[in-house]
Amino acid sequence: MSPAPRKRVALVIGAGSVKCAAALGLWKVLKRENIAVDMVVGCSGGSLYAAAMALGYDAEETEAMTLSMWNRHVTKRRDYASMLGAFLPKLFRFRGHFAMVHGDPLLEALRKGFGDKTFADTVLPLHVVATELETGQQATLENGSIVDAVRASIAIPYIWEPWEVDGKLMLDGCLSAPLPVDVAIKEGADVILAMGFESPYPRRIRSATSYAFHVNSIYTNNLFRANYSFHNLAHHAEILPIVPEFGEPVNLFDTHKFGHVIACGAQAAEEQLPYLRQLLDEPQASTPGAETSRGR
Amino acid sequence: MDIVVEQRAPTTVVRINGSVDGLTADTLMTTLQQQIDVGNTRLVADLSGVSYTSSAGLRALLATVKQARSAGGDFRLAGVLPPVRKVLEMSGFTSILKLYADVDLAVASYPA
Repeated sequence: MSPAPRKRVALVIGAGSVKCAAALGLWKVLKRENIAVDMVVGCSGGSLYAAAMALGYDAEETEAMTLSMWNRHVTKRRDYASMLGAFLPKLFRFRGHFAMVHGDPLLEALRKGFGDKTFADTVLPLHVVATELETGQQATLENGSIVDAVRASIAIPYIWEPWEVDGKLMLDGCLSAPLPVDVAIKEGADVILAMGFESPYPRRIRSATSYAFHVNSIYTNNLFRANYSFHNLAHHAEILPIVPEFGEPVNLFDTHKFGHVIACGAQAAEEQLPYLRQLLDEPQASTPGAETSRGR
Repeated sequence: MDIVVEQRAPTTVVRINGSVDGLTADTLMTTLQQQIDVGNTRLVADLSGVSYTSSAGLRALLATVKQARSAGGDFRLAGVLPPVRKVLEMSGFTSILKLYADVDLAVASYPA
């Protein structure tokens, strides 16, 4: 009799800006425990970490890389041309979309981190989620430039311009799949480690930018719950929610909290570890929950 | 996981200790199904001893609430701890399940 096939493990890192660095804590725990991951899926801020893991960067390298690339410099330059086009369309041409922040510093930062790397350079299958501007459809990017994929995935509406990939303009993946567990299900994962974050609401809305963030958060948090609910019921095996508790607000550029965020991610992973071990040790044929769902 | 069933007419209280996950979901579902099969459809799950649930656990809870409601009763949760509440909220379950601070309140929520 042939041995039962090993369960396929997916790591899914949802949208969450700096909070996504918690995935590095989870990654360290998985490495220490020699738990193999068969694919990584990332959305928005999570795509940065998913890409780094898929390219084989270690946790320390990735932390240093994101510290150097993700700082206030990337949002400092306003995109006045885009804003003028949006608010005075008769005088300045409106391009069909607009952004408050110029995209060049962000692009430079991503190039610094990922250079000319492509999906062909990854050591693990990588799936990056973005959203097509024209149709609103979720797009799973699996080919071509890593910089293009991540840039598209983190194109926060109103903040950064959408990004063109394969002739289509793409916006932030969180508009269609803030925690893209569905990609892992579709790719045949059995055990899905789902690290997700709900978007925080600004304490006070004092600028157009914070208003835009607030409105985005309302949409994406509701979408996060709706999608997560459906995926939990639809999956044939197990989705382990890995939701770090930070104990304090972690905002868009709180990179000085990286250490704390990573430690919280590791802690959340440690809490799941005994059950994860049991799950992976169980023969595939008796995957818990698989029979449960089939029995209904 | 330990499950203790207690009759508090007209309600059946199911006290659960341990994790509600893929390794325990079938046992829990069987226990709850047996109660529904004998007509005990007004169920209260005491989750004050449950600190973890996963997707398989959620599927078990959902199947039970559907069966209980189909049979004219309900499946209500009491004493849900913060980690489990967070997962229930994330997955939209708090919008379809009734949650109470403790078992007494959950039992009292059913009409006599």
